[in-house]
Amino acid sequence: MHKQGFWGYIFTLPFLINIVVFIAFPVGFSAYISFARWDLFNSPEWVGLQNWIRVVEGREFWIGMRNVGVFALIFVPAQTLLAFGVAFLLNQAIRGKAMWRLFYFLPVITPWLAGGVVWYWMFNYRYGVLNWLLSSAGLTSIRWVDSPHWLVVVASIAMVNVWKGMGQSMIILLAGMQNVPKEVLESSQIDGATGWKQLTKIVFPIVTPMVFLVMILSTIAAFHAFDVFLALFGSISAGIPERNVVPNLIIYRDAFLLFKMGPASAAAWLLFVIILVITLFQKYFEKRWVHYD
Amino acid sequence: MKRRFNVVSLLLLAILVLLSACSSSKNEEASSGPSGSNQPGSSSAEASQKPAKQVTLKLGLPGSYDVTSKEIVDGFIQTHPNIKVEIQEAPWGDFTSKISTQIAGNTAPDIWLQENAAILGYGKRGVAEDLSQYIERDLNAGDYIDALFAAKTPEGQVWGVPHGINPIALAYNEDVFKQAGVALPTDDWTYQDLIDNAKQLTVKDQRYGFVGSSSITTGWFPWIKQAGGSALDESLTKANFDDSATINGLSQLIAGIQDGYFTDADFVKANGGEMDTFATGKAALMFFQYSQQVAMSDKFPNANWNVVKIPKSVDGKRYVPMVTNSWLIYSKASQDAKDAAWEFLKYYLSEASQAIVAKSGSTLPVRKTALDLLQDVKTKPLNKAAFTDGIAEGGVTLDENASWSEWRLKVQQVVNEMVAGNVKVEEGAKQIQTEVQKVLDDNA
Repeated sequence: MHKQGFWGYIFTLPFLINIVVFIAFPVGFSAYISFARWDLFNSPEWVGLQNWIRVVEGREFWIGMRNVGVFALIFVPAQTLLAFGVAFLLNQAIRGKAMWRLFYFLPVITPWLAGGVVWYWMFNYRYGVLNWLLSSAGLTSIRWVDSPHWLVVVASIAMVNVWKGMGQSMIILLAGMQNVPKEVLESSQIDGATGWKQLTKIVFPIVTPMVFLVMILSTIAAFHAFDVFLALFGSISAGIPERNVVPNLIIYRDAFLLFKMGPASAAAWLLFVIILVITLFQKYFEKRWVHYD
Repeated sequence: MKRRFNVVSLLLLAILVLLSACSSSKNEEASSGPSGSNQPGSSSAEASQKPAKQVTLKLGLPGSYDVTSKEIVDGFIQTHPNIKVEIQEAPWGDFTSKISTQIAGNTAPDIWLQENAAILGYGKRGVAEDLSQYIERDLNAGDYIDALFAAKTPEGQVWGVPHGINPIALAYNEDVFKQAGVALPTDDWTYQDLIDNAKQLTVKDQRYGFVGSSSITTGWFPWIKQAGGSALDESLTKANFDDSATINGLSQLIAGIQDGYFTDADFVKANGGEMDTFATGKAALMFFQYSQQVAMSDKFPNANWNVVKIPKSVDGKRYVPMVTNSWLIYSKASQDAKDAAWEFLKYYLSEASQAIVAKSGSTLPVRKTALDLLQDVKTKPLNKAAFTDGIAEGGVTLDENASWSEWRLKVQQVVNEMVAGNVKVEEGAKQIQTEVQKVLDDNA
């Protein structure tokens, strides 16, 4: 037994080294850097809470949190509801099911670069297809991602994110729906349950763990949003207006363009704490509506 | 028990071998490392008396040979057999993001080039070697234009030497002028002439008089300079955006875009970018950076265009914004590598190499004799003097200092809002003034 334990440690050593070197050390180091002044070139200099105070008292981070919070409030329910609806429809005996599944999943495997460029053009104020559709219907054109109103910008980007991420949520929910016992559905049908009743009283309760998973993943993705904003704004050095920033853009800019690793690390840890609190909050309410049995 | 002992011994032995290998490589590095002297010239002078020893020089090339002439690098390799050159190349964007990580890990190349503003920041952080004594020892400053010292600080340190100078001139599409029956621009134009002609050349939603860029080099910076304003004061420590002249310059640019005689971003995007818009005759005039001529000739060989000097400012003077990319030598490189890097820079700044730079068209050389050669270059634009004489007359940097990247970003954010009509110019200028001054104070 003792001998087995020794060899066990030897065999797990590479993984332990990997975890220490590539996970534990960087995480610990970034926590330390959040209390230091470090420009990547010179040795870090301990400055106590200075970086944290700068981030907390500054305006920009909270504008970013407002944007990403509203982004999550639009994106998470929209994506979950749409993915649930599509998954439910694709779980029925419909013709060309496989093709439809592929169709809805396609944006997931489309690189952001390609998807971003397409949406970038679709959003063009004067020449974009969205405004062409609006004007064809006699409506006023909208400035989408370059609107003076931050809410319009955030909602536009949330729309793109739903397009991109819905397929993945749909696949998770579809997998859950396929586990709904057919005999339960059949017996409910015999008892006279309609499609809506089946959906709300049988299918939804059974797939609540998947819905919960989708919501947790979408929330985390929303608060981590970076690539979608970057793809649609072009580049950070081109000057993204302050009212449109999200925390990850601020962190990236401070760390890799301005070499201000301290404030960037403090902002990253603050974001981590906020996401943790939101996830715990969701977890707390999980027991009230998620059914694991 | 004995078997376990053997395995543990074997593992320990392997670790010891690994550690000794690392330490011996460190020792080798140390032995070929800094000589202990902080005088940049000293060890080189000693080296020149000794037989040339083998040195490896790690040369960083952002943008690879699209930016730096391969002919020069190959020539250096051939003429310096004792210096083994290791090229580290990457696309420009990737290189600049990679280099910061390399510097943090002390694995940066011995020499590389970047934007002058970035070099100034590196100098302040101790990454770049001060080249002032190298220049004093080996170069005759009189052989070069003033831009040789683009990376010089008020304190006298020189953090890099130019890879090339990239000034702007006023490009005009001759076909559009002919079509509109408007006289071609001249070197005597003022910015008011530019505005008046732009209005005359504009055909609503089809053709614009001028490409209304909102970027710094071809956009808001020349406009504030011509109006008698500036981004920072002469000491580069005070913001100047609340100055009425600076505000006037910004107002003129933004009025042109919003009133529709300068292109807006939507139109430019839809037409494939600023150069495409100009070359295809959808805009008659644009501020044109010297380096753009290579792409312009490749993509639009038949475009009928030329350049004149950028217009004169309200005070009759001319301000020609120029962007400089500079070579820097890594301060933590070994002295041997620094000396080899300086050898490369001397070679790069030599008459022969500078002639190659001149012919490439990708950037202007800094050696005066090479600049003279441009008269014989017959590629478009033919009027190369618009750039060279422009620099001589009023070449200015973009008020670059060590915090340029940070304050420039603050300005750009608000200028974009002004251009989009989301913020009034006066209001935006006040906002810029406060934010830029804060950056300058934080970095003082």
